[in-house]
Formats: sequence, C-alpha cells, structure tokens
Amino acid sequence: MGSLDPAFAGAGEIDGGPVVLDLRAVEFVEPAGLCGLAALLEFLIPRSEEVGIALAGRDVPAYLERMNFFRLFGDRIRTNADVASLEERRRHNPGTLQELINFHTEQEIPGIIERISEILENQGYRLRERVAICSVLSEICANAAEHGRSSFGAYAAVQAYHHIVSGPRRRGEEVLIAIADGGPGVRETLARNLALAEYTTTDNDALRHALEMGVSGTGEIGRGGGLALVAGIAARSGGSLSLRSGSGRVTVYENRKNSRHVPEFPGTFVRVSLPRTPQERSPQ
Amino acid sequence: MPEERAHAVFEVAGGDFGGKLMVTRSTGRAVREALEETLAALAKDGTLYVDTRGVELMDYSFADEALGILASRVASGEYGDRHLVLVEEDRDLLENVEASLRQRSLAMIRVDKIGAEPSIVGEVPDHLVATLQAIYDSGSITNAALATKLGLNHTACNNRATRLAKLGLIHRRIETAAPGGRQYTYERVV
Repeated sequence: MGSLDPAFAGAGEIDGGPVVLDLRAVEFVEPAGLCGLAALLEFLIPRSEEVGIALAGRDVPAYLERMNFFRLFGDRIRTNADVASLEERRRHNPGTLQELINFHTEQEIPGIIERISEILENQGYRLRERVAICSVLSEICANAAEHGRSSFGAYAAVQAYHHIVSGPRRRGEEVLIAIADGGPGVRETLARNLALAEYTTTDNDALRHALEMGVSGTGEIGRGGGLALVAGIAARSGGSLSLRSGSGRVTVYENRKNSRHVPEFPGTFVRVSLPRTPQERSPQ
Repeated sequence: MPEERAHAVFEVAGGDFGGKLMVTRSTGRAVREALEETLAALAKDGTLYVDTRGVELMDYSFADEALGILASRVASGEYGDRHLVLVEEDRDLLENVEASLRQRSLAMIRVDKIGAEPSIVGEVPDHLVATLQAIYDSGSITNAALATKLGLNHTACNNRATRLAKLGLIHRRIETAAPGGRQYTYERVV
C-alpha cells in the first residue's frame, strides 16, 4: 500500500475540485493496496467534484477487474482503463480467495467465512490452514464491523500467491489478507477507555497497545483478544500482521515489532501475511 | 464414588446454529442463549455437556461470547450447582476457548468424549491444582480426609475446595455431622 502514501498525504488538502489518482507507475497490486485504494476513494469521493484513476498497462487494470474493483467503484469514478474489454476477458484466477468485498455488519461475516472456507477446501488447503485463514479473516472483519463503523463500512480481500510477495520476492507460497475501514481509528477507540490514557498519546502507542491481549475500548473482561490472537497466528506461520491507523503503523513479526510514522489513514487498516510451509502444502 | 447426576448434551455443530464454522459474537450470543436455556432446565445439580466436536473453526469472539461468558455466569453462581463440561478433543480449536477462559481467570472441565477421563481447559491457580487432582483421584472425599491427604489444616483445605467449587470444577455437598456440626464432601463433576 506504500505507493498510495503520497495520495494519503495529499488527501487532507483537497478543495472540492476534481481529483485524479495517478497510478500509472504501479506494476503490482495486492489485497492491501486494493483495500487501501478503496478506503482512499471512499474518503475522496464525497469531498471531490469528480475522482478519476489513471492506470497503465494491462496487468493492474485486469487484476482490479478480477477483484471486483470496477464493479464496486465503476460508476463512481472515471478511469482511462477499458473496463468493458476487461469484463469480456475476465477469467477466474485460482489465487483469488476473496475478491474485494464491502460489508457493514457482523451478520454478514459468517457468509464471507463460509464462502472462503469452501474455496480453500476445494483448493486442497489443509484444515489447519483453513482454520488459520478463516480465524484471521473473521476476527479482523468483526473488529471492523464493531469499531470501524462508517458510511462505507469496510473493504476486505484475500489472495494466495505462488511466491512470497511480502518483502523481497522469493520462493514459497503466501496468503495475504487485508481489510480497511473508515471508522474512528484505533487511538480514538482505545481512548474511550480512560484506564488506557497513558497508551493513547500517539497513534503508534495506541496500535502497539491494541495488540496486547485483553486491551479494548470498553475495558470489558473477555474483550480485546482477537487482534492479539491474529498476531499470534501470523507469527507462528512465519508471517506478519501490520496494523495502520491515523499516522501510525505497527508491524508484528515472530521476534520483533516495528513502528513507523506514516501519512494519515482515514480509519483502520490491517494486513496479515500467512506464508505456507511445505508441510502445510502436502496432501491430507 | 460420586452420585450419578442428571445431565444433558448440547451439540454446538447441530441444531439451529448448525455448522462447522462458528464465528462472531452474535453467533456466539445465540449459542449461549440456547446453552443457558438448556442449563436452566437441568436438575439443580445437573451437568451440561457442551459438545463442540463437530465444529471446525471457533474464533475467539465466538468462544468468548458462547463459552467464556457462560463459564463466568456459572462461576458467579447464576446457575446454582449446575456444571458445564466441554466435550472436545485436544486440538487447535481449544486455543481460543483457552484464551477466553484465561482472560477471565476461569477454567472448565474437558473430556474427549462423555465418560472419558477429565482434564482442564483454562486457568486454575497453581495452589489449587493439587487440591483439584486429589479430589478427582478420590472421586468423593470429605474435607477432613482431603486436608489430611494434602497436609493442610481444615480451614485452608475448605477455602481451596470452595474456590474450586465456585469455578464449577467440583461438586461440594454439605452434610450434617454429629454433634450438630457440618461436614463438607467434595466430588468430581464427571
């Protein structure tokens, strides 16, 4: 999603006139970029006379089409991509586990999980892998539905790759899960719990604390366990969880946690990387 | 040996909730309400077996809402002497149940199948583990005998066993003992 950072940085300065997102230099889009782009457009569309995106080549427009991007945004933005021809050439990509989906409530989540579980089973994912992927998706979707309430709800997408795309591209397999919502963000949510005042001084403080077991905006016992468990699932698989909200971003790996100051994100964004090990790929 | 008590079995993957994929708090809430209804309808010292063996996935939100909150209510005495027992094999699915119970400083009795030897899921304070083990090894034991077995005075032993009874991990019976006194007997739940 890093390529969208200049757009996020400039989003706060738009004056109501037309806006064009120039994505012609983008060569690769993954679920994180897709969800980030969706959240950015949801921010820009109500604040601009017209929003356009400029794309180059065929791969990126074709990927956006396959992931349902134009179905969700086609009538709300202008683009130079020939969407009609992309629709005609549309082919299912077996790596697409969940196209870009927009949801608003917790009640929609079981249906999303049932569908992806069936796809994973048909593609030969072992039970343990299916449980990990579905647990991650259900927990982050539930967080978005509960804490990220906004006019547009949340966007999620899941994609499997036959190489590792997080960091330097290398051999292996990886499943990427991403979600973005337009809610108040982690810092504001945690700040509702006065007992957490010392942990909500900055966005990064709040993000780091939100990843601890049992930390929640309500302070109720039993709440605030989901993200910590998702981070644990990602770490055990050798992957990572990245949480971005406001001007903070924290990424958790098995043995370390990185924090970065980033351009303001209007809501909360989560990206989870789950590499697949050779043992996990063997038949059941 | 402990008395044979009334029991009921609730299959989480069956019934109206159906399914192998149990996710979200709202689904958990619906399951908990059904469990509470079944629990309330049991005899006052009955046991409810919550059978999750047909479930493939139980996320943390579901586990906390359906089992964590229910275990918390049982521990608070809301259901009198009725007990909960989880029927589940030792597999990954238990991780979220374990996490929820630990968050709440609670524990549940777990069996692989009804009639199998029990184990614990969740958190039992270290100083209570030996007491719990001694009660389960005996099946049924008086406070005096348990105190002797553990090398504790009667009051300390009773305090530990009372805490285990409040967690819903053992039965506690009060019997009249001559002359005009009371005697506590502790029994395993399953």
